[in-house]
Amino acid sequence: MDDSDEALMARIARGDERAFRMLARRHLPAMLGLARRILGNAAEAEDVAQEAMLRVWTQAPRWQPLAALRTWLTRVVVNLCLDRKRKAAWVELEAAGEIVDTAPLAGEAAEATERERRLDAAIANLPARQRAAIVLSYREGMTNAQVAHVLNTTVSAVETLLVRGKQNLRRALADVIDGE
Amino acid sequence: MTDDQFDTFIAQALKRDAPHADDAAVERVLRRLQTLPRQHGSVWRLPAVLLDWQFTPAWPRMAALAGCLALGFAIGISGLDRPIDRISGASASAEGSGLGAVVFEPEPLTGARP
Repeated sequence: MDDSDEALMARIARGDERAFRMLARRHLPAMLGLARRILGNAAEAEDVAQEAMLRVWTQAPRWQPLAALRTWLTRVVVNLCLDRKRKAAWVELEAAGEIVDTAPLAGEAAEATERERRLDAAIANLPARQRAAIVLSYREGMTNAQVAHVLNTTVSAVETLLVRGKQNLRRALADVIDGE
Repeated sequence: MTDDQFDTFIAQALKRDAPHADDAAVERVLRRLQTLPRQHGSVWRLPAVLLDWQFTPAWPRMAALAGCLALGFAIGISGLDRPIDRISGASASAEGSGLGAVVFEPEPLTGARP
């Protein structure tokens, strides 16, 4: 049986719940990771991923395979995340507390973790669209054209978002990265 | 840190995720998707449904259909579908009174024909 995304979507359009669960299991980890990166909140990310998958189910009869399902799904998740960011104030990752790691860390690893934590905080403070562009470009490995499609904007606008996003990150991490 | 090193640093930091936490989250979301709402239909789907239909002729069925047609035609022209008593009566009245007897109904009380 053909298990491609397009074949599964055709089955979902006919009301096949088994095909839906197969597709959900395939794409949920990536969508959850993406939502978590943009929102900075695991619980909200789960809500967004659930909402996105429900849209896959309800919109399947109308879905046209003009673009890859993954791109369409990414667009849905990013838009849902940006909607939430517009509605709610950002809660910094630091405010959510940190899980204590009891394992002994070497100095270098600890420093790397500290830098990444600082980067997380800096990304969290970026404007929503800059953050989305950075995450899509660096985490998802999308081209600028793909990011433009997902954010419903132009390639030059994406380039501007990325340049400004990186400038803001460099500024926020100046004391960490200038020491190297 | 150069621009390239900074790009690599951002990419590596963003790609790191906790896989076990993701598995648990995936299971939680899947559990919440147990009951699904009604799907949105679309008129755009109608052409797709029509295109999905198989119009390839099934030859045994075509032969059966042609046989039924030929049999129906033969029955129709030979008059086998009419009761035998009506066949003789109709032809007799038509021969006796001309076309008016066939076309016009007789008066219900007097029985006179127009």
